[in-house]
Amino acid sequence: MFTRRGFIRVGAASVGSLALRPMGLLPALAANGPDYRALVCIFLYGGNDSNNTIVPVDDATYKEYMNIRGNLALTGSALTAPVTSVSGAPYAFHAKLAELSSLFGSKELAVVANVGSLVQPLTRADYLNHQAPVPSNLFSHSDQQLQWQTSIAQGHSPTGWAGRVADYVAKNNLNGSAFPAFVSLAGNNLQGTGAGTQPVAITPGRSLQLAGFDSSAESQARWKALNSLLTLDSGISLIQAADHTLANSIEDAKLLADALAKVTPLKTQFPKTALGAQLQQVAQIIQVRADLHMNRQIFFCSLGGFDTHTNEIATHNTLYPQLSQAMAAFYSATDELKVAQDVTTFTESDFSRTLQPTSGGGSDHAWGSHHLVAGGAVKGGQIYGKFPSFALGGPDDADTRGRWIPTTSVDQYGATLSSWFGIPDSELTNVFPNLVNFGATKKLGFLG
Amino acid sequence: MKNNLSKTVVTAAILAGVALAQSPDGTTALSDRAAGRFLDQATWGPTPSAIAQLKQIGIAKWLYAQFAATPSDLPDQPELGADGKTNRDLMPVERAFFHNALAGDDQLRQRVAFALSQIWVVSVDSGVGDAYAYPHYWRIFRDNAFTNYRDIIKAVTLNPAMGRYLNMANNNKGNPKAGTAANENYARELLQLFTLGLVKLNPDGSPTTTPTYDQSVVTNLAKALTGWTYPTAPGATPKPNNPAYYAGQMFPVESNHDTSEKIIFDGQKLPAGQTAERDLEILLDALMANPTLAPFISQQLIEHLVTSNPSPYYIQRVSQVFSSTRGDMKAVLATILTDPEARAGDSGFVDRNFGHLREPILFMTGILRGLNATLGPATSVPSQAASMGEDLFHAPSVFSYFSPQYRTEKGLLGPEFQIYSTQTAATRADIVNTILYGKLDKDTTVDLSPFLKYAGGNTALLDYISSVFIDGSMSSDLHKAASDAINAATTPQRKVAGALYIVLTSGEYDIIH
Repeated sequence: MFTRRGFIRVGAASVGSLALRPMGLLPALAANGPDYRALVCIFLYGGNDSNNTIVPVDDATYKEYMNIRGNLALTGSALTAPVTSVSGAPYAFHAKLAELSSLFGSKELAVVANVGSLVQPLTRADYLNHQAPVPSNLFSHSDQQLQWQTSIAQGHSPTGWAGRVADYVAKNNLNGSAFPAFVSLAGNNLQGTGAGTQPVAITPGRSLQLAGFDSSAESQARWKALNSLLTLDSGISLIQAADHTLANSIEDAKLLADALAKVTPLKTQFPKTALGAQLQQVAQIIQVRADLHMNRQIFFCSLGGFDTHTNEIATHNTLYPQLSQAMAAFYSATDELKVAQDVTTFTESDFSRTLQPTSGGGSDHAWGSHHLVAGGAVKGGQIYGKFPSFALGGPDDADTRGRWIPTTSVDQYGATLSSWFGIPDSELTNVFPNLVNFGATKKLGFLG
Repeated sequence: MKNNLSKTVVTAAILAGVALAQSPDGTTALSDRAAGRFLDQATWGPTPSAIAQLKQIGIAKWLYAQFAATPSDLPDQPELGADGKTNRDLMPVERAFFHNALAGDDQLRQRVAFALSQIWVVSVDSGVGDAYAYPHYWRIFRDNAFTNYRDIIKAVTLNPAMGRYLNMANNNKGNPKAGTAANENYARELLQLFTLGLVKLNPDGSPTTTPTYDQSVVTNLAKALTGWTYPTAPGATPKPNNPAYYAGQMFPVESNHDTSEKIIFDGQKLPAGQTAERDLEILLDALMANPTLAPFISQQLIEHLVTSNPSPYYIQRVSQVFSSTRGDMKAVLATILTDPEARAGDSGFVDRNFGHLREPILFMTGILRGLNATLGPATSVPSQAASMGEDLFHAPSVFSYFSPQYRTEKGLLGPEFQIYSTQTAATRADIVNTILYGKLDKDTTVDLSPFLKYAGGNTALLDYISSVFIDGSMSSDLHKAASDAINAATTPQRKVAGALYIVLTSGEYDIIH
């Protein structure tokens, strides 16, 4: 018997707490600190070429950029007006990220430069001479996606870093119901899988509640029969796995439907895009957080199509407005819900791409990538981490095409987010086992 | 020589299977259970008539009949729509796909072609939007399902839809003046996804710690694959970089081919000065000679057809045949389907970790075949599969709908579970509900009359449902649950619907075992 609720009950019992929390009994944390925090991940599938997300436009650096970027170089109106970071350096966003440039200007968005999976800090010389451990299967979509989602750079990890954060939330009863802390709006993924907790995946606008049941005796008997099978051991492992998923679905469906019935329409207009719909659904769930008895939530959304080996300019012109408008609308919605300070949105992606273009107007798989963090708690208008030197075969290049060796690790990025979310320093290395390899800089300062 | 060898192996594999599939005294034909299980592995789903036919002729003859069956086709589509713009309406092709799955005689060929198309992905999503490209692309797998893996590698490599999807078409050699390099997309995924994977494998599929290639191999292979362009459309003038055209094969344009010396995997050298075609032929030979190819492809075919967690011995037996026949698909398939591990459950006992989840398309075809469905021209069945996470010809990326390495929460491999979420599990049940208590759409009709004949008695009805959907081996738990649903229903129609609902939403049906 391993339904989600059953599993959490075991966790709760082990710390001597209550299995099913009576209404009104809030976690200890709520008395002393903020009673709600949410992390919202937007995964840019395919490997976003962040060399064209934000461009340093001081004369010297921009000249280096222009020299290498060839037919992918952003010039003139393809860039926003320069924004000045807190440190004084000028940057320009891709013009189709205008809304995000505004958020940067109003200090509600920060950029974290050249982040990627690492085992430990790495120099070009160490990489080329095989003098230090490096992540497995570099430049492979699937592997780098998993490394971003697990923060484990080598080998197979059965859990994602946000899943381990959700485990902490469950173990410490930070939420007041059995509804999962991790909600995916973009299908199953390893990011939200914990050792003792399982995510719920929902599709925006669709219910989890099974159709075709009413209060008739016939219907009730069928409902009971369906449910009776979900907890039996049939002797086949994969049947158990399928049953467990359906059992979780049934359990989560009612909690979610009851809460969502209380949603009142938001004034904020979301763009009519897939990402817009995902983030709108996130905003609605945040709106009814009290009905779900949620104090700590992690959401996972995604936007695909970033594998721009060719035709990159046109593809970015299609995808970036979707990202920018949906993120900006979501920020407005959190403001409307008065939780802007409590909700932090951040990007992830497989990898960035070669600064040197391909012959077909695109770029190939690379490594370190610039990422966006938005929210009222973000110390925005600043670039964190270090931009790479734009030189093919230069000190930051893994080879000769501008594949940046990351100077900030996924562990540091995730630890900064998780620490703000409420993971105590003493627990951070359980969530990010490789964090110890990065010396004193365990957190990057863009939050908290 | 190759043909003789291959025929011997096919025969040996089939005879081994026949021996296993018969009862110990060798006299009885296949049991209902054995026939149903086999058809769940080799077709789009058992039906009473398919079970009867297999029982009559046995596995060996069935395989030979399938190898010889007339291939079904997907209809060619116009390049332009009525509005004179690119025709992006794939629905007629998708509907024909399901029609073939339900009614075609070439069941094994279709299943294998579908499995191959999930390894060699071309998709509408961020890819090829032209509807007319897909029947051409599909025919590669249909026509080569029973040929040789080398033929498949070559045909896909030169197919213009793949050329567009992974950018081998018009991939010109790097231009130092313009600061460009050869596009690495096809080179990388050809190795990672279609042939060798990331690390060298032992013949039993177990991984070594040695990478199959590194970035320098990808860079060099990208150079080796430069210099191909789209076929010239009828009436057009050939150009060194033709515009996209998806019928026929790509052809080489030597002036765009990088003729420098290239070292690819395992130190294989492509000497300087070779043509694009010569570089490709050496590459194909090197891929076929690489010992990792056999276990890499064998394991994926086993996962698609039979079980997510094959033992190393099973993988080794199949990959041994793959190697010794140099990729003969008939021999490989016969070995997969007649292997002792695939057939072990025919007599009753099934290993705890055996089987695999019906992916949404198999879930739909299995139910619809079992319920004698008829699909009209406007059927919504492709959209139903899409709503469960498997949108035909629209895989989210070249990594397909699900990864062969995806694991369930208990650590077992369960590729199809990647698209089995709390949401899609509910959607599956809702589709079953609509089929049984409503109607999917006006052009999708099921016929429950064979079931209604048995509605007078629970056991008779459930035995019949079990023979159609559970390979005649419904558990007592499922029998009891379905009985409870029957007992609470008042009319024969609702008794049948209630029983079928419980069975078709059960894990016992979801997991082919």
